[in-house]
Amino acid sequence: MNKTPQPPRWIDNLIDLFAPFDLAEEIRGDLYELYRIDINRKSIPAARLAYIANAFGFLFRRFFWKRNSLSLNTPAMLRNYFTIAYRSLLSYKSNTVINVLGLTIGIASALTIFTFIRHELSYDTFHSDIEHIYRVVRVSGKDRSEARTGVSYPVPRALKDEIASFQKITSMEYFGEILVEVPDTSGTVIAQFKENSGLAMVEPSFFEVLDFKDKPIRWLQGNPARALVDPFSVVLTESLAKKYFGEGNIVGKTLRFEKEADCKVTGVVSDFPANTDFPFTMLISYSTLRQIKARMQDDWSTVEDNHQTYIRLPENITKEEAEAQIAKVHAAHTPEDLHRNRLYILQSLSDVHFESRFGNYNSRSVSKTMLLAMALVAIFLLLTCCINYINLATAQSAMRAKEVGLRKVMGSSRRSLIWQFLTETCVVVLIAGFISLALSELLLFKLQSLLNLPLQRHLNDPFILATLGIVMLAVILFSGLYPSFSISKMNPVNSLKSKFTTETLGGFSFRKVLVVVQFTITQIIAVSAFIVVSQMHFFRNQDMGFDQEAIITFPIPHHDDSVARHQLEDRFRAQAFVSNVSFSYTLPAGVHRRQNARSIWLSGKSAPNVIFEYQAADSSYIHLFGIQLLAGRNINNYDRETEVLITRNLAKRLHFSTPEEAIGQPASMSGKDVTIVGVVEDFYNNSLKEDLGSIVITNNTKAFTSVSVKLQSVQQYEALQQAMGALQAIWKETYPTHFFEYRFFDDNVNAYYEQEQKYAQLFQIFSIIFLLIGCLGLYGLIAFVVNRKSKEVAIRKVLGATISNILVMFSKEYIQLIVISFVLAVPVAYYILDSWLSNFKNRIPMAWWMFVLPGILVLCIAVMVIILKSMRTVQANPVDKLKYE
Amino acid sequence: MASRIYLGELEELILLMVALHNREAYGVSITEELKKHADRDLSISAVHAVLHRLEEKGFVKSKMGGASDERGGRRKRLFTITAYGRNALEELRDTRNTIWSLISKVSPA
Repeated sequence: MNKTPQPPRWIDNLIDLFAPFDLAEEIRGDLYELYRIDINRKSIPAARLAYIANAFGFLFRRFFWKRNSLSLNTPAMLRNYFTIAYRSLLSYKSNTVINVLGLTIGIASALTIFTFIRHELSYDTFHSDIEHIYRVVRVSGKDRSEARTGVSYPVPRALKDEIASFQKITSMEYFGEILVEVPDTSGTVIAQFKENSGLAMVEPSFFEVLDFKDKPIRWLQGNPARALVDPFSVVLTESLAKKYFGEGNIVGKTLRFEKEADCKVTGVVSDFPANTDFPFTMLISYSTLRQIKARMQDDWSTVEDNHQTYIRLPENITKEEAEAQIAKVHAAHTPEDLHRNRLYILQSLSDVHFESRFGNYNSRSVSKTMLLAMALVAIFLLLTCCINYINLATAQSAMRAKEVGLRKVMGSSRRSLIWQFLTETCVVVLIAGFISLALSELLLFKLQSLLNLPLQRHLNDPFILATLGIVMLAVILFSGLYPSFSISKMNPVNSLKSKFTTETLGGFSFRKVLVVVQFTITQIIAVSAFIVVSQMHFFRNQDMGFDQEAIITFPIPHHDDSVARHQLEDRFRAQAFVSNVSFSYTLPAGVHRRQNARSIWLSGKSAPNVIFEYQAADSSYIHLFGIQLLAGRNINNYDRETEVLITRNLAKRLHFSTPEEAIGQPASMSGKDVTIVGVVEDFYNNSLKEDLGSIVITNNTKAFTSVSVKLQSVQQYEALQQAMGALQAIWKETYPTHFFEYRFFDDNVNAYYEQEQKYAQLFQIFSIIFLLIGCLGLYGLIAFVVNRKSKEVAIRKVLGATISNILVMFSKEYIQLIVISFVLAVPVAYYILDSWLSNFKNRIPMAWWMFVLPGILVLCIAVMVIILKSMRTVQANPVDKLKYE
Repeated sequence: MASRIYLGELEELILLMVALHNREAYGVSITEELKKHADRDLSISAVHAVLHRLEEKGFVKSKMGGASDERGGRRKRLFTITAYGRNALEELRDTRNTIWSLISKVSPA
């Protein structure tokens, strides 16, 4: 008989599955006949293609789905499927438990991840015409690589005045911490609050540009049109108003900020939504800023990063046109050096939450790549738990061969067998789905801070329920179809014959492929977790160019009279546990610190103007922070911003070939004449993710806002508590009305890596979950293999095989599979991690052992699972197994 | 006319094919014949759909039979035209003939 190439089998299966017997025979017969004709007329591939197309044609015909009453899927039959499913799930208990457990972990994690992704993607999506809203940001440096938010104070006004199309433009400045006091009518303070976030100075046009259309912010009290116009007006959110004043009308009451500025409450608005990068709770009128920073209103070079401007562009102007207009205005007002170095560009509002090089008021951005990676992890998690199910179900088919054979002999059609196995999958997935709904609720609660999610219930959230439905359907189809087809395919004669299995472990090669896929994913995640954690370790332990240990910092009152300040310093220094005290404007590095950019150029030379970070400090600063003096001398305490220290990097950028050359050189710092008296070693003024900074340190007592105390040696916890108590007592005596609040400097620096730290934790959790699911699957697989080979093991033992021989026999094949998956995982992991690490200016080099170590760990755990499971069979007495035949 | 017969153009064509190969008509043969005689390239599922509709309306009846090697040993559904179907075809033809004769009288080409 000449062998004609067969049409694709899966198509036939599909038709068999859905059509009643006669119809299926008729359709397949016709399809086959056409296929034969097509082979003669055209080519084989064309014929196969036509076969598939024709078959799918039937699936879209109504008659194909119309049934007369005599169908196999009657309620009675369905009930029977469920009964059988219930019984077989009960009789293979351990298998059922493994399946439900694996699927539950997978589905619950996926649900949690999808909730997280949805939350991140929802940031600031509720404004109207969001595609026309932009933030003005600035890039500087030769290659425009230095990206910062913030615009100089005169910029927004100039833009509005000089560019006709920029009518909807609003500026704001965000303040980190603030001391708020509630005075009574006579001016006596009756309550004091320290707020760590939420204060912003905004223009009345704020709500025009950012209208919060779909999550409206309602005005509960006050006049929206006038509330933010007058200087020293403040609008509170509802919850803050309650906190300060309780219920009732509060318009007209007074709040005192930082003990200096009394503001009148002019309105109350509803709380801002959680998913916004404008996390404001107190809105002070922008005109206040004009008054308190009057001096800087015409300074085009100084920039405060938290002073930001948003524009709603008219529809007929593109981003590029607008950027060109901004550059023209900027160039008209600034010297060439400045506008050549600094370029204002527009960033779309929809990127504010995702573009980490700029950052936002939440100081937390999540890159789209990260979200994609998370989505992939979720999909892979689902994939691995489906693979588990497929593997276990096909392995189980050997045990159920007799059942299938008998059913077929008794007249069961293949189709009803397929439905039966699909029903079993459905039951397992449904159980897993319901448990995972509860589990993911728990997970979200536990991981709330890790994932930055607001607390929310999701049992009644339609998105979650729909996602769960889709996920369950996909899991049922993906993991149910293959096993039910392959099991129902069995030839009853073969399966009813009692067979003595000697087949190799694993059996179907398809199953091996699945195991390899599963472990490849697991190894990629494990290696990623290892390298992310290593990079974090590097961040925390790398020398940044200054000391971080045992330094405590306090904010001090603004415009402090030096008497109290000197008193504080003297009394601090008098303590035995204090080794040094320094006053400064800001700190060398750390989150939430003031950062002030200025420009410097050498007097009388045509050398370019260089942007640097301005750090005002007293003479103890460089000693306290261990910043090394390379040349020249330190600044002294009596100086008033005439002598400066510059870092080595800045000296280089000012074209000095050696640090010594810079000593004594006159320079102009934002228009003020200064002399370079010393050069200090470079240090990182931002995180290690960025390059070394260019910094000027100069004495300016007027600017001091914080005091740093270096403690003697490393303190025991109790001694530290005592020391803090003593410092607090001194503080209270010096500044009786001020809050005593301290921070550890190293915590502040480490906070740079908060987001990365969270990723590291997430990856650790993920790798454990993947490993857990993988090992569950392995455990189930090996259980079947061991069970079926118990006789073979017994005979081998009788013939003299040792226990270790047999254990090697069992684990050898799986070790091979895991090694193959390791080889596949390495290049993928290398590519992914290399691109992640390249985001950082300071990164660890990737070494071979960073891949091998987690690989070996995964292998060891897998082998352990195999040995644990096979041990009982291997140790059993051969007689018990060989007694019956 | 008391009982109006409704037959679509494609239905009529396929019913004609069933009449042509009475007792031997089935999906593939009809598809091939349509291609040959009427220059109509229909997908097999479309032909099946029409046959089902015709059977529902009572124009044809069918039974399984005629397994052959070309079909991989599977039987085919063989269609036979019913008296009602034949009647319908004839009625349609008569109606047309009447109208055509009127056309040639009124406006000779």
